[in-house]
Amino acid sequence: MKTTAMLAAAALLGAALAGPAMAQDQPVTITWQMWGSDENDIAAWQHLADMVTEAHPEITVELQTTPWNDYWTKLPVLAASGQLADIVAMQSLRMPNFYSLLEPLDDRIEADGFDIDAFDASIIGGMSHDGVVYGLPYDVGPWMMFYNKDKFEEAGLALPQPGWTLDEFKQAAVALTKDGGFGFGVVPNGYSIFAAALGADYINDEGQLDLTSTSALAAADEFLGLVTQEKVAPLVASGANPGDVIAGRFESGNIAMMVDGPWSLISKRDTVQFEMGLAPLPRGEGDLRAVTAGSGFGISASSQNKDAAWKAIQVITGPEALKYLAEAGRALPARKAEQTYWFDVAAAGVEGAREALEYSLSHSATYEITNNWNAVENLFTQYYPLAMTGSQTPEETMQTIQSLAQSQ
Amino acid sequence: MTETVSTPQATMAAPPRRRNRMGAQEARMAFIFLLPSLLGFIAFMLFPIVASLAISFTNWQLISAPSFIGFANYQRLFTLDPAFFTVLGNTLFFTAEYLVLNIVVSLGLAVWISSLKRGHRWFRVIFFLPTFTPSIAASVVWLLIFTPGGFMDTVFQTLSLQVPNLLLDPKLAMQAVIIVTLWANVGYNMVLFNAALDLVPQSYLEAAKIDGANAWDRFWKIRLPLISPTVFFGTVMTAITSLQVFDQIYVVTRGGPGSATATLGFAIYQNGFGNYQMGYASALAWVMFLIIMALTALQFWLQRKWVHYDS
Repeated sequence: MKTTAMLAAAALLGAALAGPAMAQDQPVTITWQMWGSDENDIAAWQHLADMVTEAHPEITVELQTTPWNDYWTKLPVLAASGQLADIVAMQSLRMPNFYSLLEPLDDRIEADGFDIDAFDASIIGGMSHDGVVYGLPYDVGPWMMFYNKDKFEEAGLALPQPGWTLDEFKQAAVALTKDGGFGFGVVPNGYSIFAAALGADYINDEGQLDLTSTSALAAADEFLGLVTQEKVAPLVASGANPGDVIAGRFESGNIAMMVDGPWSLISKRDTVQFEMGLAPLPRGEGDLRAVTAGSGFGISASSQNKDAAWKAIQVITGPEALKYLAEAGRALPARKAEQTYWFDVAAAGVEGAREALEYSLSHSATYEITNNWNAVENLFTQYYPLAMTGSQTPEETMQTIQSLAQSQ
Repeated sequence: MTETVSTPQATMAAPPRRRNRMGAQEARMAFIFLLPSLLGFIAFMLFPIVASLAISFTNWQLISAPSFIGFANYQRLFTLDPAFFTVLGNTLFFTAEYLVLNIVVSLGLAVWISSLKRGHRWFRVIFFLPTFTPSIAASVVWLLIFTPGGFMDTVFQTLSLQVPNLLLDPKLAMQAVIIVTLWANVGYNMVLFNAALDLVPQSYLEAAKIDGANAWDRFWKIRLPLISPTVFFGTVMTAITSLQVFDQIYVVTRGGPGSATATLGFAIYQNGFGNYQMGYASALAWVMFLIIMALTALQFWLQRKWVHYDS
């Protein structure tokens, strides 16, 4: 009787002492939704999820990946049905649309003394809305021109240099379009990147879409003219994702130049059988305006595990994680100190990578978009083929897209 | 003898309560057996349909709370939306052309197969196989065939034929979708019609042959009227599903080029999940429902003249 009472007292005492400690180390599994394309990509993200468990053994991160296009279709549906993951991946271009789903992070940053200045300022701005930070960024990057160095050398052309103009670009593309291959690949929703590089304004001062302004139409003429007049780019239909089609044709050596960002190096590096080079986008009459975008991770406002999620996103945007992503070629880190790993490791064999990136970053411009940018991009993909085949003039196509985008 | 006579009399003389109780018991048993299906219907069909009607009167955009806006969505649909009448026209054009081609081809195949002396079972299986394939998978393969620079372009190039690429021409893009849908669905109606043709009594056909009717007459005047109930069923079902066409459009053309292949089903998806406008998409869905109901009612009215039932 006495021993039982003593044992019971000891157990209670032990539980009382162990109580607070146990509550802190309560194992928790949090979910992380992210876009992922191929196996290399998904393996990279899984590595980051494992890094969270290494740093915080009680936290297990369950990764849920979706292909890029489908991610933006699924996100509002998951939110409406209350099934958002704890960690939500967000891109700077879509932040104006979806910031209401995320938890504001300013209080946590201040409370923990988190060093937000280690990140590139432009992408912190991209991850914020109305001055409030909603996500920690993992990458930032300008769109650049990837080119097939072997094809350039075969054609005896000088390699593209930072500061090259649209005319030089067109000359190279024409010289490279032969024997069934093309010099360039036009992706319809790459219009805005191309237009910005040339200095065109497709958004007016009130932040509304203005595709029929003089400079916007001139840029559209140039962009579509690559297909219809110079015939240096293949026709793309509206069905299959044109971005994937053009990327596939570039990787197989059919197209010599394409526009993409530093995040795609991981996919290209392993599949291409030729030497690649990087150059900044060609400029128009004035200076280059290289738009950048980036992505990061936020905590969903409806999450039940916000503290664990906050610890996790600090790890997956931390220095080791971004060093890993940089060396794999998946991201140009948003942390300034880790950016060198992308140059030195991932882009080591790529001609002109450092110069192209530094030139683009020093000529960076804000990517102007509207609140319904997803819908606008869909309209470009749907209607540009009409202009590419000559059924409509670029002006008519831009007017159609303008009126349809406004009616939504 | 007397027992069998007296028992019905006995039951008839018994108070009506007994029959009602038995009837009530049977009804209760039937209800219990139907309950799983009924629950499924209520949860997965009735509730979403009613919810969709409610959503069509709001401006729900998925990430924000819905707010009631009355008939504004329907007004916008009929007056403000520049795309609605194009979309409606595309849908009706697709349905008309596809329905006619489907019935003609499947009927023709059914007649041909029923006239074969040997191997008709094999041909039935071969033509029915495409209906097994998920429509998305079939559409992806056809996309690879139709894509600019793809299989079809290469074949025509080697044969030196100047055939325009179907996916790039706004006037021909719908034909690509029709080809895919025909390939995938002809087998279903063909098997249906073939089974019905096999049920036509041989004695009628032999009698007609003796009377001097040729094959054409035998088909039009005997076989077709006798299988007309089946043809009617096939037509109604094909019309309903073809008005809802979505899979092939989503994969092969995404509504393009321009809005040449945007149909009602695709417009609902695009508005709801592409532009996040659930309220407007729900209104579109209800308009589509009413159109399908009207077309089906029309077909039922036409059956009085065209369909011959045995009784």
